[in-house]
Amino acid sequence: MGQIDLSQVAITAANQKIHSLAADGQDIEIVNPDARHNIGVGLVVDNPVTVRVRGSAGYFCGGLSDGARFEIEHNAGWAVGDNIYNGTVVVGGNAGAIPGVAIRGAEIVVRGNMGSRAGQVMKAGTLCCGGNAAFMAGYMMYGGRIIILGDAAAKVGQDMSAGEIFVGGKIESLGNDTMIVDMDAQERDEIREFLDRFELKFDGDFTKVVNAGKKLRYAKAEPRHRPQPFFVSSKSSNYWNPKVQEDIWIKGEVGRYRIRGYGASKPVPHLNDIAFARDISTISPDPEELKDINLKTTVGGRFGAKPISLSMPVMIAPMSFGALSRKVKIALARASRLSGISENTGEGGMLDEQRAEADQLIFQCLSGRLGWNVKDMQRADAIEIYISQGAKPGLGGQLMAKKVTPELAAIRGIPVGIDLRSPSRHPDVLGADDLVIKLQEFREATFHKVPIGIKMGAGRVNDDIKIAYKDGFDFVELDGLQGSTGAASTEVLENVGIPTLAAVQEAIDGLREIDAGDDMDLVMMGGLKDGVDIVKMLALGASCTSVGTAAIIAGGCIACMQCHVGTCPVGIATQDPEHEARYDLDKQAMNMHRYFESLRWQIAAITRALGHDDVHKVGRGDLVALTPEAADITGLPYRPEHKTDHRPLTGLELLDRKAG
Amino acid sequence: MCGIAGVLFKTQGAHEIGKTLIEMLDGCQHRGPDSTGFAMYGETRDLLQLRFIVPTDEAARKDAVDNIASLLARHDAAIESEQSVGCSYQIAVRFDGDLLEFTKDIEEHAKLVSVGHTLDIIKDDGTAHELDDLYNVGEFTGTHGIGHVRLATESAVRPEAAHPFWATGFEDIAIVHNGQITNYWKMRRRLERRGYSFHTDNDSELVAVYLADKLSQGETLDSVLETAIEDLDGTFSFLVSTKDEIGYAKDNLAAKPMVLYETDDMIAIASEEVSLNRLFPGQSINSTEPAPGTHQTWARSI
Repeated sequence: MGQIDLSQVAITAANQKIHSLAADGQDIEIVNPDARHNIGVGLVVDNPVTVRVRGSAGYFCGGLSDGARFEIEHNAGWAVGDNIYNGTVVVGGNAGAIPGVAIRGAEIVVRGNMGSRAGQVMKAGTLCCGGNAAFMAGYMMYGGRIIILGDAAAKVGQDMSAGEIFVGGKIESLGNDTMIVDMDAQERDEIREFLDRFELKFDGDFTKVVNAGKKLRYAKAEPRHRPQPFFVSSKSSNYWNPKVQEDIWIKGEVGRYRIRGYGASKPVPHLNDIAFARDISTISPDPEELKDINLKTTVGGRFGAKPISLSMPVMIAPMSFGALSRKVKIALARASRLSGISENTGEGGMLDEQRAEADQLIFQCLSGRLGWNVKDMQRADAIEIYISQGAKPGLGGQLMAKKVTPELAAIRGIPVGIDLRSPSRHPDVLGADDLVIKLQEFREATFHKVPIGIKMGAGRVNDDIKIAYKDGFDFVELDGLQGSTGAASTEVLENVGIPTLAAVQEAIDGLREIDAGDDMDLVMMGGLKDGVDIVKMLALGASCTSVGTAAIIAGGCIACMQCHVGTCPVGIATQDPEHEARYDLDKQAMNMHRYFESLRWQIAAITRALGHDDVHKVGRGDLVALTPEAADITGLPYRPEHKTDHRPLTGLELLDRKAG
Repeated sequence: MCGIAGVLFKTQGAHEIGKTLIEMLDGCQHRGPDSTGFAMYGETRDLLQLRFIVPTDEAARKDAVDNIASLLARHDAAIESEQSVGCSYQIAVRFDGDLLEFTKDIEEHAKLVSVGHTLDIIKDDGTAHELDDLYNVGEFTGTHGIGHVRLATESAVRPEAAHPFWATGFEDIAIVHNGQITNYWKMRRRLERRGYSFHTDNDSELVAVYLADKLSQGETLDSVLETAIEDLDGTFSFLVSTKDEIGYAKDNLAAKPMVLYETDDMIAIASEEVSLNRLFPGQSINSTEPAPGTHQTWARSI
């Protein structure tokens, strides 16, 4: 048995020692823990070892681990056993808030009392409490069982989708959409077996709480209607237009807000309202002359982790397997490899084929912890914690019932066929202060080897970017109002958040206000469509960009905005095998790859035309504003005459020149 | 975006309040790396003690100090002693007039951060240990105190935006707060109509003034905290200290962490157990997490 004294060893070194002792099959004793955070985080073992904590543990003890047994003699802080797939945690004393959060099969036993929101978003396994549970036990749980031998405070099972909660004592009140049902003899026997195994004595009877099934699906789904392409609906008037008309029709049928795919379609100040200060019509069509222009970009090297390495300042935006079909995720991964850029898992887990195809893969962690696990974290090239996205800042993801197939439900650990509404916030991140500890947990789980980023929708960017910087993230992915999604309410899509142009400016200003320098990489996204946009974004101050909608369109999307329905006519936004069969993976991967190569050529050509040999040398001096609004937002000089004299070439015009 | 800590020794005497709070705040400095603050209660003095934030630049500092002297002169407050350290200027004055009127006038023209016969608030940019190096916080002895670490999002980290906040107009009352008050403007307008003025847009200042207003109407700290949970909307855990008591209040959602540990001799409260455990290294302590929507107060023996 190995011993580690936490009064002598810092937590990172202690965790490394835990990993190496465990690899030798040794049990581990932690002395003088004194409620320090992240003990044992990231421990993945095949042979069952026991980590004994001789005292109290802080936040996330045993979190993001797999296969080990943790015995904490005294108390545990927030989120004990966070996200464990297999393994055991026994807390001798009390546990703080959200014990057993997001577990996927673990056994968590708290001999004393447990804090609020116990078992939030848990998927499988057992969470058992010998004492009383604070309010909202089983909040948003998707499966598994919670056994409470004492009393349960208010709102037991609030917003649970599935699973069972057994309460031995009094229930203060039930959460919404829950009901009390009878227990059968088998359940009683299984609980008895569990209690005996952990030597918990209880002679009373239980009240069983389950989901009542009234809110798992919207009463009425969006009707299928004649597709009205995004690019038709968003043109002309921003007041009465075909989309407004369609919105009203649909609301008349479903009697609530309308859910649809894609992003904001109303006109807002954007990169079109900015031009290059120099006449770039001298642009060279000769690829030979462009091969020395440096486009190489790295992201996330701020604290010495291995940065994401890109052949140009472009990433593929996070889009989930779930919103998109398996074939599309594989095609995106392949195209990213062929073009030397990165792919991103989005919400809902990592696919083996996606991992194999992509050279650089970012793994995204969302509030519902759907498909999130330590093993995939440890094979990712970067981690990104999702706070929100440009399409719907402040709201969680939505995946409508048609897409929640048995396969998808199994990956995410949720019931089949529900209208999945992911939580709007992380269970364990209720402020910048908690986020610091969460970030540290991620670093421990990935051995400080890969960059950890944060994805944010553009809201109060000026504050948020400072928090991201001060909390110590390696990179930020910032998404403006024009960012798209697979499903959100149309009013939110159109109205919540600030435009991408304002977002990048606020981010740059915010970082400058705190003298942050440029060590935290800023990846901008939200309505970027070509190399022109990308160079402008870099000139404004971004260090990299990310494209989602444009990549999908290159890969066959017809922009009908019905991504949420699940019957995508081209097999992209669907989980239906019949529809997915229509998708030609090999062909579309090459289309996306060629689109990315068009970006590369444009970025290089414009960089050269602006007089630089490196895309990272472009700057604000290379830009002017064409409208008073854009000048006001960015502080760039207002030069309306550039509209006619030095109008930037569109992507098509550039390609024409290349061809001609 | 912060961490809080408080301690009260139940028996009279010169307890190591400064050292205790430094340990606790160092334990949760990860929650707020930008600024740190202490509100500490020592022996009751005859003179009123005031602490101002002044510029660190020599010339600007002299102007500020001269300005403070002329402000005090027009209220017949005689400066008996003065001390200039770090970003602060501390004086002891003889003053017998109406404190509310006196401080209201001064606050319009100077950055007054602490007023009291027993209270001293020390706050600045930097960590708990950095403040100790500059202000000798560790040497402070007394019966109780509260402290705060903060992550700032404003343009420049300014010491006057750091916690604790003194309850404008009322001596010897301070608060530290973790969270946000979402009905801030509604409550602020209500208090402004009652004649109070605000010097920051910080919601923690509002909590301090809100509590002080109620206390001035003769309510007990305990009943004030009970009403605060009903009146204030948002997510919060805050600590309040008066000349003889400390107390906490926690919102109904318990979104902000707080744990406490009580013995026969003392009560310690902090955002995280790691801060409490700093006072008892190597021991397992029977801490408890207060239930949502609760409050409690403790008094030192008088």
